[in-house]
Amino acid sequence: MIAAARSRSSRLAARRRRAGILLSLPAVALVVALLGVPIGQAVYYSMTIWNGITATWVGPSAYASTFTDPIFWRVLENNALLLLAVPFAIGIPLVIAALLNEHVRGWRFFRSVYFLPTAISWVVIGMFALRFFSATGVLNQVLAHFGLGPSATDMLAGETSALAALAITFVWSMIGTNTMIFLTGMATLDPTLIEAARVDGLSRWQIFFRVQLPLLTRFVQFAFVITVISAFSALFSLIFVMTGGGPGFGTTTLEFFVYQTGFQQVQFGTGALYGIILFVIMALVGLVQLRLIRPSDGEGW
Amino acid sequence: MAAHPGRRPLGPRLRRHVWAWALFAIMIVIAVVMLYPFWYMADNAFRSPGQFDRQSGHSLAGWSELFANLPVASQMLNSTLVCAAAIAIILVVSTSSGFAFAKLRFRGSGTVFLLVVSALMVPLQSIIIPEYVNLAKLGLTNSYAGAVLVYAALGTPFATFLMATYYRGISDELIEAAIIDGLGYERTFLRIALPLSLPAIATVTVLQFIQIWDDLLVGLLFLPPGQRTITAGLATLSAGRTTSIPALMAGSLISAVPAIVVYLIFQRHLVKGLTLGMGR
Repeated sequence: MIAAARSRSSRLAARRRRAGILLSLPAVALVVALLGVPIGQAVYYSMTIWNGITATWVGPSAYASTFTDPIFWRVLENNALLLLAVPFAIGIPLVIAALLNEHVRGWRFFRSVYFLPTAISWVVIGMFALRFFSATGVLNQVLAHFGLGPSATDMLAGETSALAALAITFVWSMIGTNTMIFLTGMATLDPTLIEAARVDGLSRWQIFFRVQLPLLTRFVQFAFVITVISAFSALFSLIFVMTGGGPGFGTTTLEFFVYQTGFQQVQFGTGALYGIILFVIMALVGLVQLRLIRPSDGEGW
Repeated sequence: MAAHPGRRPLGPRLRRHVWAWALFAIMIVIAVVMLYPFWYMADNAFRSPGQFDRQSGHSLAGWSELFANLPVASQMLNSTLVCAAAIAIILVVSTSSGFAFAKLRFRGSGTVFLLVVSALMVPLQSIIIPEYVNLAKLGLTNSYAGAVLVYAALGTPFATFLMATYYRGISDELIEAAIIDGLGYERTFLRIALPLSLPAIATVTVLQFIQIWDDLLVGLLFLPPGQRTITAGLATLSAGRTTSIPALMAGSLISAVPAIVVYLIFQRHLVKGLTLGMGR
């Protein structure tokens, strides 16, 4: 009787195992074939000269010659400069979320409006930004209106100013996502805590900085990771539409450099190499993210 | 803020009132900043190039130029087909694997799950060159297939994470009861777990729809020019630098409409999906 039950339960366990493997197989196969294998290939081909058909082995020295290439460092510098936009892409949404959290009249409507850019393609955003920053664009008209006409310039014509224009557009586009993150975070806070602080006589600013903000650390970190990942790997469309990477290498970031090198100059090997460097940078950022997700999981997988 | 002895303190009610109105005014200003691009597009889409330069008068010239230079209807259809096919694949593989990782753990399933989810960290640009060469060799870049597969693979890690998280919330007893009733694991998944996970399925669908609809890079490289999505078509039209601004604004507007509509209807699901990564 007991033996029969045990053999039944072990049969059940075997079936369960088989079902588990069977059901998880398609996802695993898809991810391995289309994400896992290419990353391995990219590592290999990064050390070759490759035109898509024939690959000539170069070896690790391919990396050495990249690290002595001034253009590569110029591109990486653009990535570093884009990081300067990150505090704005986090600070502004933080303030907006705090204001929304006051639940003023019509706050639901405002919330929908502020989140809207999340649904919009970077291509469309870039289309507008191109006209906004151009010499005859909206920005210069506004400046002229306030008597700042002589300072009117085409921001997209200068290397530094074009990167600044790109960064401003990026900050605008991140407002929706990051406000969403912070608003979610604020909803998790215990309202009696804020009430208690108010009773204790703390001002609104004190409550925000001393009570709410410290409790939102995890959400700020999360927004930080999302923002850095976006800055380094989601701006392709924006750059493609707004500047095409120019003027010069003014707005070429590493991700755009991969595209230019690979698909415009057909240097697949070098393009793959830049992709690997991007991957390493992203993996470092991703490790931070993983550490953010894991502790809250509790039970682990 | 120390109270100035000479200043008459405002009554607390009045102060609350002033604060509320100031707040409302700030909200309006931010709303204008967020909405202005859409107003600009809508305003200038209905102009001819001359009317655009003068910034006065409206016409449909921009629209007719757009339709003359871009197969808008067929590209919208391309976008729809690519989205639908990729989302279908993502849903099939992420619901089944999410269920397996959450409820049918086998030896090593934790590691496999972590491996799948960690693929989230792979930026598309890092793999795009070998990916392109592989799919081109297989002849999959001559049709929708290549782009659909790439979109499906890119969406699967997060969708799997989301579905597994959702299924972990379903009680084990429910699953075991179904097994004891003789449903078997596969049918328990299809008949019990799957219907329960409709909210998570909605979240994945909305999130992926917006992501795929809005994407440029994959659409640009993996689809033949005749089968481009609207987003890729628009970006190439803009890169040509010969199309007038009103026509481009019209194109921007029409390409954004489906994503905006989906966003407005399913806002709640989108917010849930985007913030779930925090693993609250």
